[in-house]
Parts: sequence; C-alpha cells; structure tokens
Amino acid sequence: MKLSLNWLRRYVALDRPVDEISNALTMIGFEVEGIARTGLSPIANVVVGEIVTRDKHPGADKLSVCTVRVAPEATPIQIVCGAPNCDAGHRVPVALPGAVMPGDFKIKVSKIRGVESNGMMCSARELGLGDDHGGLLVLPNTLTLGTPIHEAIGAGDVVFDLEITPNRPDCLSHLGLARELAAWFRLPLQYPAIKTGEPTAGAPAVPHLLESVAVTAEEDCPHYTAHVVSGVKIGPSPAWLQEALQAVGLRPINNVVDVTNFVLMETGQPLHAFDAKKIAGHRLTIRRAAEGEKLVTLDNKERVLTERMLVIADAEKPLVVAGIMGGANAEVDATTTDLVLESAFFKPTAIRATAKKLGLSSDSSYRFERGIDPCGLLPAARRAIDLILETAGGQVVGPLFNVGSAPATETAIEVTPDFIRARAGYDIPDATMRELLEAIELEIEVRNDVTRLTGSIWNVKVPSWRGDLDRDVDLVEEVVRLHGCDKIPPTPVVAVALPEDDDPITEFNRAAGAYLVGQHFHECANYSQRSGPETAAWFSDAAAKTLGLANPFTEEYSHLRASLINGLLENLRLNQDRRTGATKLFEVGRTFREVDGKIHECLSVGFVIRTESEDAQWLARPAADFYTAKRHLAVIAANAGVTLESLRVERVAAPNAGWQPDHAATFGRLTDGCEARCGLLNLEMLRKLGLAGGVVAGMLYVLPEKVAEAKRRAKYKPFSLFPAALRDIALVVDATAAAETVRRDVAKAARAAAGGKLALENVRLFDVYQGKGLPEGKKSFAFSLVYRAEDRTLTDDEVNAAFQKAQDELTKNAAYAIRK
Amino acid sequence: MQAALQALVEKARGDLAALSARPEFEAAKARFVGPNGELTALMKQLGAAPKEQKPILGKLINQAKGELQTLLDAALARIEQAEIAAQLGPAIDPTLPSPDSGAGTTHPLTLVREELCRIFRKAGFAVVEGPEVETEWFCFDALNTPADHPARDLQDTFYLPENALVANVSQRTKERYLLRTHTSSVQIRTMLKQKPPVRIISPGRVFRRDTIDATHSANFHQLEGLYVDRNVTVKDLKAILDYLFQSLLGKDIKTRFRPHYFGYTEPSFEVDLSAKHLGKIGKEWVEIMGCGMVDPAVFESVGYDPKEWTGYAFGMGIERIAMMLYGVDDIRYFYQNDARFLRQFV
Repeated sequence: MKLSLNWLRRYVALDRPVDEISNALTMIGFEVEGIARTGLSPIANVVVGEIVTRDKHPGADKLSVCTVRVAPEATPIQIVCGAPNCDAGHRVPVALPGAVMPGDFKIKVSKIRGVESNGMMCSARELGLGDDHGGLLVLPNTLTLGTPIHEAIGAGDVVFDLEITPNRPDCLSHLGLARELAAWFRLPLQYPAIKTGEPTAGAPAVPHLLESVAVTAEEDCPHYTAHVVSGVKIGPSPAWLQEALQAVGLRPINNVVDVTNFVLMETGQPLHAFDAKKIAGHRLTIRRAAEGEKLVTLDNKERVLTERMLVIADAEKPLVVAGIMGGANAEVDATTTDLVLESAFFKPTAIRATAKKLGLSSDSSYRFERGIDPCGLLPAARRAIDLILETAGGQVVGPLFNVGSAPATETAIEVTPDFIRARAGYDIPDATMRELLEAIELEIEVRNDVTRLTGSIWNVKVPSWRGDLDRDVDLVEEVVRLHGCDKIPPTPVVAVALPEDDDPITEFNRAAGAYLVGQHFHECANYSQRSGPETAAWFSDAAAKTLGLANPFTEEYSHLRASLINGLLENLRLNQDRRTGATKLFEVGRTFREVDGKIHECLSVGFVIRTESEDAQWLARPAADFYTAKRHLAVIAANAGVTLESLRVERVAAPNAGWQPDHAATFGRLTDGCEARCGLLNLEMLRKLGLAGGVVAGMLYVLPEKVAEAKRRAKYKPFSLFPAALRDIALVVDATAAAETVRRDVAKAARAAAGGKLALENVRLFDVYQGKGLPEGKKSFAFSLVYRAEDRTLTDDEVNAAFQKAQDELTKNAAYAIRK
Repeated sequence: MQAALQALVEKARGDLAALSARPEFEAAKARFVGPNGELTALMKQLGAAPKEQKPILGKLINQAKGELQTLLDAALARIEQAEIAAQLGPAIDPTLPSPDSGAGTTHPLTLVREELCRIFRKAGFAVVEGPEVETEWFCFDALNTPADHPARDLQDTFYLPENALVANVSQRTKERYLLRTHTSSVQIRTMLKQKPPVRIISPGRVFRRDTIDATHSANFHQLEGLYVDRNVTVKDLKAILDYLFQSLLGKDIKTRFRPHYFGYTEPSFEVDLSAKHLGKIGKEWVEIMGCGMVDPAVFESVGYDPKEWTGYAFGMGIERIAMMLYGVDDIRYFYQNDARFLRQFV
C-alpha cells in the first residue's frame, strides 16, 4: 500500500518529521518497506533555463558547448555539457556558479577542455530526484525562465510503501491509515465532508439510462448499489487529483475514472463507473458467468469465464468481472455523458477464487479479497459523486438502486480493563486504555460490576470496518499496540521447572552426530527432495510412485528422499572437484521409505567415505571398507537401542544401482523398526557420478516411534575377578560358510561342553584363511575361546577337558574339521 | 685349569661383544654357562682335581663364573637396548602432518540449533520433535489458518498426492498430507498429547515452494517455542526473547516488538534486533522472528480451555540466525557443504 503524505494531510494535520511518521507507522503495525520522495527542497542558484544554441566542443566528441538563457531577456551564458539531449529549445534545470548540489558538489566557473563553462545543466539524479541520469531533466516549456528550480518542480511529496497485514483491510486506504496515525499522535481526524445526499426516495427510474438492477447471486454479492449521474463532461482531471493519483503510482485517465480511483485509495471502497449508454437493455444483472463466456478486460486480454465466477452483465453480455476488472466494452470514454456508479460488497472468498483462477489482480480485487467495510458502500459512492459533480459536472438522476444489505457487522465485545492488564502483564491505567480505544473509534460503555468490589466492565462497540475485532484478546492487541510496544517493560525470565527431558529422537540425533564428528566426518545438510528416476533406480518403481510430491518445484526435487547417500555423494563430488581434501561426510536427517505403498518417515543417519583421495599422504593408512562402515553403524544403532549384530543380515547379491553386489549388506527390516545398509557403493555408478576410486557408505533408518521406546536404564551385573583361560581353535569350513554362523556353532558346542562349572565367556573370531594348505573350496576360521569361572582360578586340566569335548562335539558336524 | 678358565672368559668376552641378536645370545649363553656348556665341563673336572687344590680351583671357577655372568648381563643389556631401538625406528619429526583425516566438523546449522536449545533449556524448555510430513489440519486448520489462506496454495506449499498414505504420521480425519511449512505444527501435536503446563521448543526442517536464491531456500530450518500456563503475559514473552538474544549476542543487544499478524497468535508481534557490535545489523533494526500470545482458537482446537490457559509461542529461522551470527551472506552455502565452509564453524 502506497501512502502519500500530502494526501494523508487532507485528514490529519500531521507536521512531524518523516522519520517520526515512518517510525510511528512501523510501531503501530504497518511496516514501512520503502520511502520515496518526490519534489525538491530549496537549492539556491538552480533555476529554469532554456538552451538557445548547441555546438560541438572543439576538443571532445562527446561534449557540447551550449548557450543558455537563465532569465527572461537575459544574455545567454556559455555552458559545456556532456548530456546527449542538450538540444536547443529544451528548458532544463541550470545550476549557476555558487550552487551547492546534493552530495556537497559546488558549482564554479571552470574551463572544460579549454572552453569556459558558467554552470551545469542537470539530470534528475544530479538534483537528487531519483536515479535517472540518462540525460538532462527536460522541463515543461510553460515554466518561466529564472524560476528557482524547487518552485518549478514543486515541494513534492513523501510516499511510504507499507506492508498491510491481512487482518487490516481497513488500512488499505488513506483514511484508514490517517485514523491510525491520528490515534497514535493524539490528533483529530477530519473526514471529508459529503454534500450528496440520499436520492429522492421513490424517484422514478430514468429508463433510458438505467431501468433496473438485479442480483441473482446473492451469496457472492450480498449488497449492490448503483447511482446514475447524468450530463457529465469527460475530460482531464484537475492537477490536484492527477498529482494525488500519481503519488500512489496510478496513471490519471479521465476525471470520472480518476475520481473512482481516488475514492478507492481514500476510503478503501472499490467503485466502478459504467457508461450508461453501453449498458444494453438498460439493465444490470449481477450473476454467475456462463461456462465459457468471454469478456475482454480493460487490459485488452480476452478472459474465458467459468460458472463459479461473478460478473456484472447487461441484457446481453458480461461487462465486468465483478470486483476485479471492468470490460473494455463498457468503459467510460470521451463520449460518455451518463454514468452508472457501482458501489458493492462482494464476498471475499469468491473474489479471491476468481482472481486466482484468472491470474488477474487489481487494486479493487485486493481490497475485496481482504474484506471491505460492509457499511462503507454508500458513503464512498456519495463522496465519489461529490467529486464527479465537481470535476465533470452533471447531476444525480433517478433512484438509488440498492439491492441486498450489508452483512451483519454489529460487534460488541465485553471486556474488563483488568483482563487487558492481566494479559499484557503490566499496568496501563483505565483512562489511558479508554483513550486509546476511543481514538480508533471504538465506543465504550462502562458498566459497574455489582458482583465485584473494584473494576468495571466495558461493553466495546466495534466500528464496521474493524471486522478483525471480535474477542476480548483482540482488544488486548489494540491496547498494547497503541500504547506502544516499546513500553512493554523488561523483566527477568521467571521459569518454573518442568520435569521434561529432551525428546529421545533429539538425543539420538545428537549422539549420532557427535560420534561421527569424533570419527573425523564433516556433517552436511542436503535437501529432503530427490529426483524420481534416481528413487526408482536406487529403490524401486513402487518407491518412485509413492514418494512423489503432488506439486514439485523442479524435476530434480520431485520426490521425498529415501536415502541420505545421494546428497552426500554430490557433496563428495563437489569437495573432490574443489580439492578441499574432505573424504568423510555424513548427514543426520529425516528420510522417507516406501513399504507396501505406504510412506514411512524415518530418522536416519548416512555417511560416506572415499577410499582414495587426491591428496597423497606421506604415510599410508589402511583404506576404509565394509567392516569400517559396519562398525560405525553398530555404534550409531546402539544409540537407538538396536544391536546391529542381532539383526538379520543379508549380502546385497542382485545387481543394484546404489550398492556394489557382494560388497554390501542389509541389516534388519524397516517394518521391525530399524534397517541398515552398508558397504561399497556401486563402482560403475560412482564412475558415472565422476567420483574417483571407491566410496564406502553406511545408511541407518530408524522409525521415530522405535527410538522413543529405546530408553532403558542399565543394570549392573557382577563380573568375575579370576583369571581367564584361553584356547584357540581353527576350523576348516566351506568357502561359502558365514563366519557368524560358525562362531555361533562353536560357542554353542563350547558352552555345552563347559557345563555349569566353568563359564565360556566369549568366542571371538581372529583369523580367516583361504589358500595354500587347504583343499579347494574350503577356508578356515580361527576362534579364540575365553573360559572363566566366577569363583576360582580354572585348572588346565578342566579347561583342556572342556575344550576337547567341544572339539569332539563340533567335528560331529561334517561341515567342520579341526585344522591341525 | 686356571689357564682354561682364563681362556674361556676371554673367549666369552670376545664372542659376546660380537653378538647383536637375542637367539645368538641364547646360544652363546648355553655354550658358555649352560648345563652342557664349557664352564660346566670345566667344573666337572674339579671333581678329578687333587683334594688340596679343590678350594683354590673352586674359587677360580666361581670367579670365572662371576666374570662370565657380568659379561652375559652386559651383552643382554646391550641387545635389549638394540631391540628397543629397532622397535622404535627413526626419531619422529614432530612437524610432520598426521596422515589421518582431519578433525570432523558439526554443521553450522546444527551448532546454532544446539546453542539455541541450550539457551532455552536453561529457561526450562524441553526439545520435542515432530514429523516433516504433516497434514493440513496440523499445519493449518488447528493453527487457525482460514481454508482459503494463501499459505495453503499449491504455489507455496508442497503437497503429497491426494491418496498418499503415511504409515507413521497420524491424520486428524482424512485431510491431505503436505510438507510442513513451519514447525508450529509441533505445538499442536504436543498439546494434543500433553496436558498444560507445557514448555517446549521444537527445532526442525520446514519446506516452502520458493525459488532458491541468496536469501531463500526451499528447505530451511526453524525453531518453534511454546509456553502454556496460567497467567502468561505479553511481558513474559518479551522477557524470554530478550533473554534469548542477550544470551546469543550479549547484553548490548536491543530488541523491539512490532505489532504484526499471525492467525495462531493474538496479539502478534515481529521482533527486530539492533546490535551495535554486529556490523551490518548494527545500523538499523533487522527483523529476526515472529511471536505472539497463543490465540484462543488454537487452544480450542487442541481441547485446552482458553479461559483457564494462556500462553505464548514464537518461531525463528535457524538459517537467518546463523547468517547473522556468522556473517554468512548466502543461504545456499549451508546446503552446498564445501568443506572449506564447514571447517569455519566450531
């Protein structure tokens, strides 16, 4: 909303500095997004001059030598000028020697490339009038030579560009904002006097101008009024009206249209003027459009309407998209002599839907969408008629066409000053509150409450334009706002302890991040959206189908991410290309997995490790591999209460876009609460991505509800203080045997053999061998068995016996042989 | 005999001096003093010696034995020294860089989030989490957002398809799923689960259908705060936010409340900051967040009695705060993850 200070001063005598007004607007809730100044403050020795001659500068191609007359009858003076438009005949601002221009630039007689110059002709920018520096500011030829430039251009205006929040449509008008500022500065508000009265009751219609007005869509148009003004003379508006409109960015068109725009910007009530002779059948109908009905709007675009849209139509065709824009076919033009002036109330949601559908917004639709003053129709119409009669002549004829009525607006709020103080939390005296509320035209009726010892009850009547006020808390806002938000007193925080822990999910995320940072990973943040093809390739077509957004912004971000790895790979690539040296990255964040056509939102942790780096090291370290990733995953999963080793594990065997078959594995199932995957990423895929070498990755998914259950307090178990006895066993097994299966068998046999007297504490795999000395298709696993008793030191004999028994038991299984 | 002993000692002196490894030493030791060694052989001769010579010879043998032991000890010490030297390898160059990967780094958005959490934790706020996929009811309706509010537009909010099913994010009825546009939806889920008083913050990721540029990101992070209790006032709201910014930026910071409008608070405010020591933002007021007193309509939608309960709520953009704290001028850097950027924040 553009607010002109000159315009504002029609209603409130505001003589404060611009900064103070700007600050006031911001502090009462209308944020100032920009301030534009037009006009000039006085500058001495800058006058209107006329270029008499223009010649080329003898020593410079781009300069001209002009003679300029700076007073009537005066001898022209010589000025060197670089502007392209310093043509003879132009009247331009001339800064004479002694002038001090904005930016403290002093004008003196000087020589430019050897030619004397007695001043400077000015561009708009050189005068401090905006940014135009394309050439001299050419002034109207009607200006008298020698006139001080600030008199010629005028004192100007200050225009504030304001953000009006959606709850305050009443302030999409100069009067509305004047009311607010008058309240803030405690100044009286002067409404414009209205001369036009109610048309004579029962006056007969003038059938050749307008016979009738009918509303067939009452729901979308609860109230419609029309006046007929006959005998107007269309012409340009007076200067004051043109200036006012130009200040707020509107183009003057003709006196009648300008008046409707002026009243719109003054009161917030959109008006529409029809040329009466263009209304076929002299009948107006406010109806829904027929599906496919067409209308060329004032912007010369053909609009195809739907049956949801409201139009103002004559007997034959639609003339206006109601509340949004008029049609070219009923426009007021130079030939217009009789007017029909519409002032109506349209339902905000109806206007919004139509404006959106047509992609068409106007100053009128903006106000109708947000809600106009339901009681403002006739005052605005009469104000406009006053101004039309003043600027275009004519007279009101016929009756007031008045269909429907204002939607109910009588609002009264019961509130006590104590309530307002209690919600504000600080003291504002009753009298002050009352003064503030009355300043914005709320009417307060005080009732003494007989049931209370002190205090009173206020019955607050809300004016029709404040549809946003209907509850006691709304008045708290008005008081706090107008009293001044800067008066909210500072105070220490008073916080009663609440016995709540941070969410277990938060703690899980923190632990995962802390661990990986401790393992030298860089934490990354990537978008939660990925592309469809990638989702299909890495997961499945079903995943791509389920995880797609209804209205993605771009194709690359069309799907909810199912993995963190993809983003991290892009980050690896960037860091590789930029040679930052970073090879270990991770992210903690939400991912989305498809299971049986349903989306599951997961907590997740993903990490990537490049196995090679562009930066050679003077000392080699072993490269990361599947087992590195597995260890990281196990530590992180433990924070969610999940033991990774206890999950069912499966090697990735089938061809896979993301992971290298046989070099990656999946742990657990998401539907059981936790799923993890780690190992080497698909080398072909990495090559296509432009990543050199291998990348080892890990990805953990946990359902949030699972983490919430995970919190358990540990319970101490006693442990033996006696020495351990160690025995090693090497088994020859099939080359395809899984280590963990064999280990469990060893543990089971050894535990059974040990019986109750000595405990088998642990079975640990410590060697894997395949090759020379073993038959084809076989390998060997070596395990270390730890025996320990709780109550004594074990003897060699008893350990040997148990160990032998375990070996005997194991070798009963044909799959196992002791490696000697 | 005496000569033989003398010769043995001299031989041992020569041989042991030449030894440098433990196996050779063990062999030499066995050769000289072992049960089958030369000294033992000489000792055996003692038995055959004339009786009167025995004490002298015995003394000589003991003397030789002592000398041999001294020689052996010296040799062993020397070998052990050599072994340790071998185990150590060459001396370190303390100026050589570690070949291990450099220190890990926490993302600046995480750092800021955690700093905010710590500040609020001290004032008794606990962190709660909520889903990123939300429903229209939790994101809009329950927060008193009108059905045709522009924020709900397909233009501004990411929606899931009409028939999408989310297994672990509950709906109120059958309303549509979307990507949450603010963390305020967590207020609703928390209040539905928990009876007042409530004092929570909820940091998290939110989504807007924005064109990405230096100050706009389609994914970003917010931190939501909610306090519900009896007799909560506007003054309390100002107090907690003054406390926040003084904790974050020092005592010299100034905050300003400006009336604003949000559907879920009444009154509503925007908060501006001014800090002389913070370069860019020192000169003017800079808008930093929104807040207000919980609107009674929100209490009604979660079944709290608005006559009994009052509260405040606030929300801020974590990126915006991070940009201000660190002086970052382009939001996209947070999502590019260049290690030269990430390493700057610890």
